[in-house]
Amino acid sequence: MTDTDAVTRFEAGLADVREAFGSAFGEAADEQSLRAANAKLTGPEGTLTKLMKLMREVPGDRRREFGQAANALKEEVAAAFDGALVALAQAEREAELAAPHIDVSLPGRRPKPGRLHPITRVTIELVDIFTALGFDVAHGPEIDLYEYNFDKLGFPPDHPATDMQDSFFVKSDGARSMLRTHTSTIQVREMLKRKPPLAIVAPGAVYRRDDDITHSPMFFQIEGLLVDEKVSFADLKGVLTRFAQRLFGPDVGVRGRPSYFPFVEPGAEIDISCVFCKPWEGDAARTAACRVCKGTGWLEILGCGMVHPVVFESVGYDPEKYTGFAFGLGIDRIAMLKYGISDIRMLYENDARFLEQIG
Amino acid sequence: MLASYNWLVELTGVTASPREVADKLTGGGLEVEAFETRGEGLDSVVIAEVRSKTKVPDKDKLSHVVVFDGEGEVDVICGAANVPDPGRRVLFARVGSVLPNGMEIGERKLGGVLSRGMICSEVELEIGTGAEGIFVVPADIEAAPGTPIADALGLRDTIFELGLTPNRPDGLGHIGLARDVAVHFGQTFTPPAPPEPARRGDGELGVSIEVADADRCPRYGAGLVRGVTLGPSPFWLRYRLHCLGLRAIHNVVDATNYVLLEHGHPTHAFDQASVRKRAIVVRLATDGEKMTTLDEVERTLTADDLLICDGEGPVAVAGVMGGANSEIGDATSDVLVECAYFAPRSVRRTGRRLGLHTDASHRFERGVDPNGVPRVLARTTQLIADLAGGAVIGAGVDENAQPIAPPVIDFRLDRCDALLGFETAPAEAVRIFEGLGFSVEKTGERTFRVTVPTFRPDISREVDLTEEVLRFRGFPLVPTTIPHVRPSADGTPLEVRFDRLTRGIAAIAGLYEAVNYAFVSRPELAAARAPEASVILENPLSEDRSVMRTSLLPGLAAAAGRALRRQVQRVTLFEVGNTFTATDGDLPREDQSLAFILAGPREAWIGDGEAFDFYDGKGFIEAIVGPLCLSAPVFSIDDELSEKAPWFHPRRRAAVAVQIDGEHIALGSLGELHPEVAEALDLDTRAIYAELSVPALFRARQAVGDPQASALPRFPAVNRDIAMELDEEHSAGVVADAIRYAAGDLVEQVRLFDLYRGEQVAAGKKSLAFRVTYRDPAATLTDKKVDKAHARAAKAMKAQFAATVR
Repeated sequence: MTDTDAVTRFEAGLADVREAFGSAFGEAADEQSLRAANAKLTGPEGTLTKLMKLMREVPGDRRREFGQAANALKEEVAAAFDGALVALAQAEREAELAAPHIDVSLPGRRPKPGRLHPITRVTIELVDIFTALGFDVAHGPEIDLYEYNFDKLGFPPDHPATDMQDSFFVKSDGARSMLRTHTSTIQVREMLKRKPPLAIVAPGAVYRRDDDITHSPMFFQIEGLLVDEKVSFADLKGVLTRFAQRLFGPDVGVRGRPSYFPFVEPGAEIDISCVFCKPWEGDAARTAACRVCKGTGWLEILGCGMVHPVVFESVGYDPEKYTGFAFGLGIDRIAMLKYGISDIRMLYENDARFLEQIG
Repeated sequence: MLASYNWLVELTGVTASPREVADKLTGGGLEVEAFETRGEGLDSVVIAEVRSKTKVPDKDKLSHVVVFDGEGEVDVICGAANVPDPGRRVLFARVGSVLPNGMEIGERKLGGVLSRGMICSEVELEIGTGAEGIFVVPADIEAAPGTPIADALGLRDTIFELGLTPNRPDGLGHIGLARDVAVHFGQTFTPPAPPEPARRGDGELGVSIEVADADRCPRYGAGLVRGVTLGPSPFWLRYRLHCLGLRAIHNVVDATNYVLLEHGHPTHAFDQASVRKRAIVVRLATDGEKMTTLDEVERTLTADDLLICDGEGPVAVAGVMGGANSEIGDATSDVLVECAYFAPRSVRRTGRRLGLHTDASHRFERGVDPNGVPRVLARTTQLIADLAGGAVIGAGVDENAQPIAPPVIDFRLDRCDALLGFETAPAEAVRIFEGLGFSVEKTGERTFRVTVPTFRPDISREVDLTEEVLRFRGFPLVPTTIPHVRPSADGTPLEVRFDRLTRGIAAIAGLYEAVNYAFVSRPELAAARAPEASVILENPLSEDRSVMRTSLLPGLAAAAGRALRRQVQRVTLFEVGNTFTATDGDLPREDQSLAFILAGPREAWIGDGEAFDFYDGKGFIEAIVGPLCLSAPVFSIDDELSEKAPWFHPRRRAAVAVQIDGEHIALGSLGELHPEVAEALDLDTRAIYAELSVPALFRARQAVGDPQASALPRFPAVNRDIAMELDEEHSAGVVADAIRYAAGDLVEQVRLFDLYRGEQVAAGKKSLAFRVTYRDPAATLTDKKVDKAHARAAKAMKAQFAATVR
């Protein structure tokens, strides 16, 4: 190869590039093809790059001149490329802004949260009401000693009072044990463990041998217990009234009547105003037709009473010094009332479509 | 317990309405759950006199009867065989009457005669159970034709349905109820003393009585009525029994039932002639001893069952049911009446064992009045004599081997006031106690000594008297106060709070909470390859729920299967619950777990994604454990899972743990269910399951303590990618670790961003691409430094994994 050849080729090359780059950049419809066109010129194998490599063959006296020309062209190309890039971005943005509207009716993308079970929701609500009043929360075992479930709570041996709580027993060679029939076992355990003053609520699963549309063999209760000096029945009524109104609204009334649970004396059953027909709104016809309260305007929701001295004696508290109250209510029952669930079994089928309605 | 308003009015003289009486009873703790009026709606059923009766020609069974209904003579066709002679009276439903069963009486042509009305039986009017024909009005009932039968027969009453608590056996008789009613309405109640029987005979019982077990039979009374004639009881008594749910049988049994409802104390009538060897012995059975009870069932007894025997063998299970052999029959002439007090616990145990619950056992096991025995016995024998004729033989027997004394209780009104939260005047307390039949002795200004008769076994201590004050003063009087709850040093255990957090985070992560029964069946556990149950129920409701679960899998799998069969597309359920394991101690161990199951397609933006796989489960665990324990979970292949968790697919499962300051805390395991297990659990799709220990999660959270903040980086990071092709056997985690190690301290993060298997790579190979983030915390990185580190990583890939780096 001769110097003259190199000079000729160099000049021709420069002329070609100068002629071609403008249209090459102008024809590129998107960034990718623009970059490809640029690479053809300035990439490692590009025309311009190759031309620069030819410089070594150009005679020394022409190198300066040619170098300047080549560099000037390179800058020109770079500037054109930048310009074309900006123009493309501009065109793209304009196109996007002028494009048809997106379909806003397509579903949204979202992290889909799950649901808490209605039992858990109600438990949380109940626990929060009582903890706000100063109660602690306690748990206990689901399988417990017969002694804790009945004897220590003052159930007389072989007494029909135990019929109210038909029990599941566990096969055992040792002490007689059973699935707890009420959360009152936790009362006993906490009192044996702690000294007064004592204020606890204790939620949990309990078990009784019943199975029909309103009874599930496993269900949930929450137990409340307050022991201190000078606790009175009026305190019990006050706490339960506060609870009912927090849970169901300020218009809800509370009434009670004496009843019998071996571990309290006096014992009582508590009704609240029917939360379905809302008798406080004065629509007597609606109440008369109400199927939930059977027209009475009242719903029975819990049992309660003053802690029986026999219970204090069985856990080593002085019944002359301390008094207390206890109450127990069915969480399932509250959930059914609150959420209008008519069949208790729905709570234990765990159908997502049901859980979604409430959780 | 059913109670008659009329009867209570007769006993107390109270004039309040049935509604008022019911409200008071309920307010006092004897809950009236429902009440029903009787004798209503029968206004056009009247007394009518038969004027003539003739057979309808060619219709043997039909009579043409002319009755006078007070207004005129009416033709009726009657199919009954016992139409009485002219002059006698019948119950006549005029045209237009509606019978209780809804039948409306109209005019009908029968046997060529227009029948205008109907002559009725007890059953048709629902006033009794006599179905042998029409009701013929007895001569002693005075009522002119045309009188509505409700008036003529005294049918109007209100029946209360009481839901009595088991501590109030006195409420199982009208006298006990009347006591409460009287106090509620300020009346003085005096229980009726049994009047002298019409005829009193001389002589002895003719039978010897021996009580061999005085503990179980502290008191035993017996009386004799000689020369009775069995027959129907008078209508008023039959009607009362009928309204109160008992069937009229014959006068002797009706008398004992009537006294049962009156005093709440069961008695038993034997045919005296059938008492063999003229001896009654009250003794325990021997193990295996047999007798046939009235219901014709042969019972096998134990040495814990009390029997009434004659000289040859058992004639009754004490307090529960009589025997077939001593039953009163048509031939009975002399009736031996037993009135006893049996120990409640004994009766209860026997009743439970035999599966027998009778009107008698119901009362004995709650405790009848031991000291009521003489009065109830006298009342029963007198009533039998009144109804069935015969003479009450004077010298009865009253074996009071173990007298039960009424308790004497010191009562402090101040304490009562403090407990109830309102004040009661001493005179008011005395009025209540005395009204209830207690005797009160004043021991101070505001203290009393109260003797409580044995008909109220529920009252044995001071606080029981306080309850009586509340019962009669009423719940509405109780003020409402909010107690000042003193804080307890113990507070709420952290574990209890953690429980709520666990559920909340699982739900936020996208899981739905399930609550399943804690009892399952053995086959379910076997299908889940869960540990065999060790906590077994003694008396399950069914085999399906006979053992306590050892795994949450059966419950969740059942819920998932149910949902899928109901065409719920996607199952993402979790449960927080206990599993149970027997121990050497008194109680089983209860382990709380958090488990979840995933089945179906994962959520996609539009349409469905692919079926859930292991990595979805891993994602949920990361989403739960991260925020819950403030620590990232680590997943490892653990060969021990073959044994410890055989329910998983052997190639698609992992042990889950956290590493905290070098401490390894195992949390549980995760995996795809073994296809055979999924099949056995009736899931016709692959499912992902995980079970984590809640106490372990709690321990992990405790171990982490308070997370410590560090300053955010001030210098920029540089990203470099590295892509390679290598053998399948190398796990992405191991490769990432090798990159980190080889590239050195400047590495901040190594993140897999592409995984490819397929046409572009050779079989048995995969392509992995990682983005490595480099950062120098103290300076801006130079390309040179990064290039060097990244080159080390590439070299290590070739050396360690024979990877082709691209």
